[in-house]
Amino acid sequence: MLPGPRPRPELKPFRTRGLVRRVTPIIAVLAAAGLAVIGILSGSFLSAAVLLLAAIVLLAGAALYLVVARARDAAADLADKARAIQASEERLRITLEAAQVGLALVGTDGRWIQVNPALCEILGRRRDLLLTVTLEHVTAEHDKPAVAEALAKLRTGDILRWEAQIFQMRGDGSRVPIEITIAALGEHPSGDALLLVQEADISTRKRLEGQRDGMVAVRQVILAASSWEQAAPQLLGGLCACLDWDVAQYWAVDTELKALRLHYGWHRDSDALEVFYKQSRRLSIATGEGLLGRVWQSGVVAANEDLTQATDYERAAAAEEADLRCAIALPVLNGGAVTGVIELLAPEVRRIENDLVTMLSTVGVEIGQFIQRAEISQALRRSEADHRAIYERSPIGIARISGEGELLEGNPALLLMLEHDFNAMHSQAWPDLLRAYDQAAGRSRIPALLAGVTDGRSVQLRAATGGGKWLWLQMTATPIPDPSGVPEHVLVMVEDVTTVRDSQDKLAEALEAQRGANATLEKLDRTKTEFLSIVSHEFRTALTGIQGFSELIRDGGLEPDEVRAYGGYIFNDADRVNRLIGDMLDLDRMESGKMSIRTTDVDINEVLSEAIARAGSSTTTVEFKADLDPRLPIVVGDRDRLIQVVSNLVNNAVKYSPDGGVVTMTTRSEGGFALVSVSDTGVGIPPDEISHVFERFRRVRSGAAQSIPGTGLGLTIVKQIVEMHGGKIWVESAVGHGSAFHFTLPLAAENVAPLQRRHG
Amino acid sequence: MGDPAAPSAAVPATVLVADDNDVAQRLCKRVLEKAGYTVLLAGDGLQAVEVALSQNPAMILMDVAMPGIDGIEAMKRIKAAKPSQPIVIASAHSMASDRERFLAAGADDVLSKPFRLADLIAIVGKLTANRGA
Repeated sequence: MLPGPRPRPELKPFRTRGLVRRVTPIIAVLAAAGLAVIGILSGSFLSAAVLLLAAIVLLAGAALYLVVARARDAAADLADKARAIQASEERLRITLEAAQVGLALVGTDGRWIQVNPALCEILGRRRDLLLTVTLEHVTAEHDKPAVAEALAKLRTGDILRWEAQIFQMRGDGSRVPIEITIAALGEHPSGDALLLVQEADISTRKRLEGQRDGMVAVRQVILAASSWEQAAPQLLGGLCACLDWDVAQYWAVDTELKALRLHYGWHRDSDALEVFYKQSRRLSIATGEGLLGRVWQSGVVAANEDLTQATDYERAAAAEEADLRCAIALPVLNGGAVTGVIELLAPEVRRIENDLVTMLSTVGVEIGQFIQRAEISQALRRSEADHRAIYERSPIGIARISGEGELLEGNPALLLMLEHDFNAMHSQAWPDLLRAYDQAAGRSRIPALLAGVTDGRSVQLRAATGGGKWLWLQMTATPIPDPSGVPEHVLVMVEDVTTVRDSQDKLAEALEAQRGANATLEKLDRTKTEFLSIVSHEFRTALTGIQGFSELIRDGGLEPDEVRAYGGYIFNDADRVNRLIGDMLDLDRMESGKMSIRTTDVDINEVLSEAIARAGSSTTTVEFKADLDPRLPIVVGDRDRLIQVVSNLVNNAVKYSPDGGVVTMTTRSEGGFALVSVSDTGVGIPPDEISHVFERFRRVRSGAAQSIPGTGLGLTIVKQIVEMHGGKIWVESAVGHGSAFHFTLPLAAENVAPLQRRHG
Repeated sequence: MGDPAAPSAAVPATVLVADDNDVAQRLCKRVLEKAGYTVLLAGDGLQAVEVALSQNPAMILMDVAMPGIDGIEAMKRIKAAKPSQPIVIASAHSMASDRERFLAAGADDVLSKPFRLADLIAIVGKLTANRGA
């Protein structure tokens, strides 16, 4: 690099002179010695003395020559030296002037002594002005200490040579990166030591390196970052560091406001720059407005090399306040549209080279593409995260199964629902569930699903959990195709529909109950209608006689015995109506719980005996038999009501018995109950009627039994009374053979033992 | 009270009273004989059919609720053999729907129980007169 114009002094003349000087005395001494030897050898004192004297004279002459020669030599040397220096300096001057690199001679105090035009060019200063200042003076503030230290060491001889890359300040105030070499040169004629300074402007190299580093930094940040939010601060800082800018700001296009707004900023640590940042944040910049607006509008890089000269810079005052002198702005392009602008600012005026513009344009495009990619990948991640969240947090069980039905994945809800860990689920519960699914679906479904056949229907099935709980599960399987559309997996949604099913079942039960109630109501309604019809029939039948015969009596013209007979008919029918009314009221009171029983000790055998006696006195066509258990204990009950029960059954038996029929009454003690039976050999009850005999007005209407008069309420009342006593009543019957009515009455507790008070 | 629908004395019309209730039987027999009719009695449905077909009464007064076959069934059987036989259903089933039911089953008229004696005489007179015409 250094073409080594170190001045070498011309040594040849000095060598010639030295040889003469060194040879001359030797010749003189040799000559004198020769004379002396000749004189001694001649044997003549005089000639010897003469010769000796000659030798001495010769020696003296030689000595004088030597002294004179030396003096002459010294004077010649001095002149030579001055000439040589002059020539050397001239050569140096020519070299300095002609050199392409900056070359200068500097004193150890740093003062410029000589500078070449290249250096003036590099430093952007006039030679005469440069010669009035020092090396340190033109060095950037930051590098001054290093330069001062180097000069000191060179001065003391600690080092002979110093090389460094530093910034120096040009005359216009701009900085220029310099590769500097300082070498000690030896002393100046003035006595000062001289330093040779070589400077090379490496701004282009530095700029290109910075741009290359900047590009690398941008790409590294972009590669590592997942979002623009994450990348922006790093990226702006990296650009500043590599390209040597103090401020970097990212302005985003706000499509709603139709303005640029500052989103991210980076700046060197400085209060003034912080103020500039805050002021920038408040701004909204319209398209075409100022440097940033122009870049937004045009989509190309633009710069203000010297902000003091700019006419439309939008933050001129703020920039001046912050000592910012230069700004360059690059568009961030996304699919051809400007989505943002990055601005770089520096504290000094800068010449913006084309290579920087090209580089920044590339940066803008790459950042734009990155933002687009980041947005897409962020959306993807969000959607992935959403899906994951659905999978993880869904209350519905989700299973992913392979083509063989193997459980690949089950979400927490599934495991929780079925109370299994994944392993138990995988090995046991899931295969069971799939079998149940196929069974419930009526055919093998999973293979069909994997063949792409889906009907989208759900299947409900019953399954036990790990905890032994039975659940109703609703399973919906969906084939999941691989990217080429071939079904690869089956996704199975498993829902616990137990509650739904239970409530459905309950609803069905409730509906069934409601239907039952409706049927009962309908039946009740029919019964009511029927009741009205029957009651009115009974009353009207009775009233026919009463009304007809009383009309005859009223119209007169009757024989006295006729009147008596008709009066009897009237009385009987009136009595029948009265009984009917009584029965109905009784039944109503019993059914509504308004009738109480007055309990006393009752001897059932006695009640039966009396009933037989009464019935026997009013009929002669039926034979009575009694088979009463003499050891039957006393029961506790309402005697009058029990008499009513027995009378009713006996009267029924008589009524439905043909002439010559037999009515048999038996009593037994059975398991704490008195069992009473009244059987006849009468017409019997048809099988389809037998279950209705205790219903009100359910008189057997078909066959021979139809002709038997009655209120139709008797057996209903009987059943009520028996049940009020805590007993039961039932009937056995065969048409044509007769009927047997049985009822039980609970024995008084102390009488359960088979001992009999009265008949004991 | 006169007997506007009374048959001529020369040919006393015969009326069959079919009723299982002997009080009703007695009442009808007493009233109709007094009005100049010959009264036949039947105590159940089958007997009514037998008497109706053998005795050929001018009209029949038929109860419904009777043992054996009921009055409706008896009426159907009689009408099947003698379509022109006048039959009046006399029933204590006296709801409006009952009346329709009886007429639909073929009754020439319906007499609701209990009845006014004049109504009984009038309805019997009308049907025996129709028969005569």
